[in-house]
Amino acid sequence: MTKSLYRKANFMQTHYNDKKRLGIYIHIPFCLSKCAYCDFNSAPAQNPEGITRYVNALISHMESYKKGARAYEPDTVFIGGGTPTCIPMEELVRLIKAIKRNFRLTKYAEFSMEANPATVTYEGLRKLNRMGVNRLSFGLQSAHDNELAALSRRHTRKDFVRSYKMARAAGFANINTDLMFGIPHQTMGSLMHTLSFITRLNPDHISLYDLKIEPGTQFYRDYEKIAPYLPDEDTEADMYEQAVAYLADRGYYQYEISNFARPGKMCAHNLKYWNCEEYLGFGVSAHSYFNGNRFAFTADKERYIQGVEQPASRIKITDQNETVEERERLGEYIMLRFRLNEGIDSREFTRRFGSSFETLYGHKLKKFIDGGYMTARNGRFALTPKGMFISNYILSDILEFADFGKYVFGN
Amino acid sequence: MAQTEKQKHIRNFSIIAHIDHGKSTLADRILEFSNTVAKRDMEEQLLDNMDLEKERGITIKARAVRIDYKAPDGEEYALNMIDTPGHVDFNYEVSRSLNACEGALLVVDATQGIEAQTLANAYLAVDADLEIVPVVNKIDLPSADVARVQAEIEDVIGIPAEGCPAVSAKTGVNIESVMEAIIRDIPAPDGDENAPLRCLIFDSVYNSYMGVVVYIRVKEGTLRVGDTIKLMHTGAEFETVEVGVMDPFGLRSTGVLSAGEVGYFTASIKTVADTRVGDTVTKVDSPAAEPLPGFKKVQSMVYAGIYPADGARYNETKDALEKLQLNDAAFSFEPETSIALGFGFRCGFLGLLHMEIIEERLEREFNLDLITTAPSVIYEITKKNGEVIYIDNPTNYPAPDEIEIAAEPIVAASVITPTEYVGGIMDLCQDRRGTFLDMKYIDTERVELHYKLPLNEIIYDFFDALKSRSRGYASLDYEFEGYVASNLVKLDFLLNGEMVDALTFIVHSEKAYGRARKIAEKLKDNIPRQLFEVPIQAAIGSKIIARETVKALRKDVLAKCYGGDITRKKKLLEKQKEGKKKMRQLGSVQVSPEAFMAVLKLDDDN
Repeated sequence: MTKSLYRKANFMQTHYNDKKRLGIYIHIPFCLSKCAYCDFNSAPAQNPEGITRYVNALISHMESYKKGARAYEPDTVFIGGGTPTCIPMEELVRLIKAIKRNFRLTKYAEFSMEANPATVTYEGLRKLNRMGVNRLSFGLQSAHDNELAALSRRHTRKDFVRSYKMARAAGFANINTDLMFGIPHQTMGSLMHTLSFITRLNPDHISLYDLKIEPGTQFYRDYEKIAPYLPDEDTEADMYEQAVAYLADRGYYQYEISNFARPGKMCAHNLKYWNCEEYLGFGVSAHSYFNGNRFAFTADKERYIQGVEQPASRIKITDQNETVEERERLGEYIMLRFRLNEGIDSREFTRRFGSSFETLYGHKLKKFIDGGYMTARNGRFALTPKGMFISNYILSDILEFADFGKYVFGN
Repeated sequence: MAQTEKQKHIRNFSIIAHIDHGKSTLADRILEFSNTVAKRDMEEQLLDNMDLEKERGITIKARAVRIDYKAPDGEEYALNMIDTPGHVDFNYEVSRSLNACEGALLVVDATQGIEAQTLANAYLAVDADLEIVPVVNKIDLPSADVARVQAEIEDVIGIPAEGCPAVSAKTGVNIESVMEAIIRDIPAPDGDENAPLRCLIFDSVYNSYMGVVVYIRVKEGTLRVGDTIKLMHTGAEFETVEVGVMDPFGLRSTGVLSAGEVGYFTASIKTVADTRVGDTVTKVDSPAAEPLPGFKKVQSMVYAGIYPADGARYNETKDALEKLQLNDAAFSFEPETSIALGFGFRCGFLGLLHMEIIEERLEREFNLDLITTAPSVIYEITKKNGEVIYIDNPTNYPAPDEIEIAAEPIVAASVITPTEYVGGIMDLCQDRRGTFLDMKYIDTERVELHYKLPLNEIIYDFFDALKSRSRGYASLDYEFEGYVASNLVKLDFLLNGEMVDALTFIVHSEKAYGRARKIAEKLKDNIPRQLFEVPIQAAIGSKIIARETVKALRKDVLAKCYGGDITRKKKLLEKQKEGKKKMRQLGSVQVSPEAFMAVLKLDDDN
């Protein structure tokens, strides 16, 4: 299938009417246990009352947005975490009902939920699917139990295969699996084996993330210990380039730095982030881009619950809030669109911003094009896989300080 | 000759010590004890004015203060305490300060005993004919061993120390015994008040309101306000505007200073370069026949290029250098250009510490971002045509076929170390092309080593190597000796095939390969990966003697855009852009500004 047909297939997923589109994100900050690499907002699941209080707060919070969202028809929902599937099923049911009650989802809305292979049951999956969750995202990470242990994942490859088959049987026609590379002890061979294993299972979508050691994680604290077992920079770059090629060969088209999909199965929700479209996040540390503002809610669960449940208390739950000005929007657009294989279409750019991409940035692109990091064809500029893997370097080179908005003055 | 009553009530003294032995703390206690400064008003370590001095715990520039002291017998004394810099870079300034005195308090740490600079300073005091009063300090510490240290002073320096003051400057214990010893043991000054004027300049400070304030010791004659004076070495003439003494909190005009006194004068002098330390002040209408002995023009021993990291700040950098020079005649600079670094300055320093201090002051007080090239000594080159040239910038080193004789500066170095580290230190000195002279036992646990060493080996990370081989216990002192012919080569570095002039340096031919390899490795660590592979080559002439490669950048990515958090990504990219802005573009290669200095930080063994 050609690229353009491919784009069209994905376009067909959404049926535009006059209402504005919106993505809904819900953050579930609970997990069975914390993984060694994880710096997301999550903590081991607490007592059932704590979870109930949090879900209550999410529901109240959504209700408070009901009015403001009337002009919108959300076409994607994403419940992420943490591990949404580790909280009791009745809580998930309440949550999903509340989403549908407060927002008028489009008929073919993409409704994703993250799932941990160790925490799902057939009955649970069946229930979720019946309620309208139509896309499942499994955190597999690796098909090797020693690598999974190094990541302190709770599941094994076997657990995953069982869960995956259960999900198919429960009716999920759209399944993503998250994979990682750059894991301690991982080799080129073991990665290729993981890829071959997963493609034989035939999921609809594959995310392949490069492990990044973030401050605040177990890996960060143990860095000295794991460092000798981490693949080096060149090995990782080789892994990335080979993985991209391998997945393409198996019919998984790369559409973003870390994302690969069967035709028509790109993640519509994540695409909103990269296309500068609007989304509303609920829950701790949830980010939103809504009405021209970017904002995020507090990472503090107690504060979030109190602030939402007692509006009169004036407890502030918003942590960041900034209006994205014209020039900054342009900077964001470049930064985000270069994550996508589609890259930047100069006609589209001119339509959006009234000035030409070539005029503004063209003089900085030559070395990247000459070096094979970027392609420029028919007015479309895009990073090659090699370029994507050094995209920070390229973006920090071509973007002007003004493109970062107010951060230009050092925040 | 007979002393006047006034002279009998004056004591002029310095405090000398190895670094950290408590010199400044003792000075504070003396000030406090004599009630000149009420304790509550006293800023810790009053004499050390500059922030930097306080932080480093060392005295950079000499300062003097006059203390009015009423002794227990009821007599009133004027005590002139002259502080001295305690580092090897400032030996000449120390010697001039000592020449302004009749005595010196030699402070020795009761836990550590004599160190290299204790000895060096004691010898300077002996040379200046001073009465030395030993003071054993830090007796409050549990490991203090007063008797051992006293014995060491008697054995090694050869002055009586039994019964000398043993104090804790920190707690103030026994400070009265120091005061007694100053009055009893240090001779009162003499000198004929009516003889032709001879004053020794031991320091000067620029003040934007008064011009240069010149610190002097009147040796003979009398200096008054309105006198027309002449500086005998520079020949410059001035009319004095103010004459007075230094109280702890400032200058106090007295209108007159006579033989034996320590004080200051101002004379609308615009730069400290006109008032060289060691020069003699006399009167124009009744001049002295001879200047005081011992004058030397201070000379920079170490040179380095200083460049603004941001080329647009060249003029600011120049202004800052000029301001620093107002107060530091030992610091020199002149404009230079580098292909790699653009417009900057070649700066001369007394030594490495002096250089570090200037750099820090430029960055701290003037808020400048600087790139400093590796320091170099001055090479004396006799060309084939007979011409003798001095090279302070390795880039200007002549081609081998023009050179008849190349000579490098040699110093006489003394290292004092606990015996257990002697082997390692001798290896180090040997490795740094040292010539062993002798070794003396100070006591059963410590030895003093004497070596002749090329100065260019000392500025090449020698201090750090010495410290790491002795766990910080060894101390070093050295003195310039002269030039010696040597087999030197010019080592160039090329990045991506292009020579980087700011990295060129001069090295002994036997050392060239080792150094080239080490520096190439260091460069590799300091050059970030770029879009293309960057070869680093070290070359003598056209011959490549070492090579390293910075591999091409392959990974620099934020794989995940967690939950639509765009802001975090933007901040990261902006930070990265700022980092790139600081990079220096050398031809096609970007280099971090630290690279130019980092090449000299070796991890000992070389």
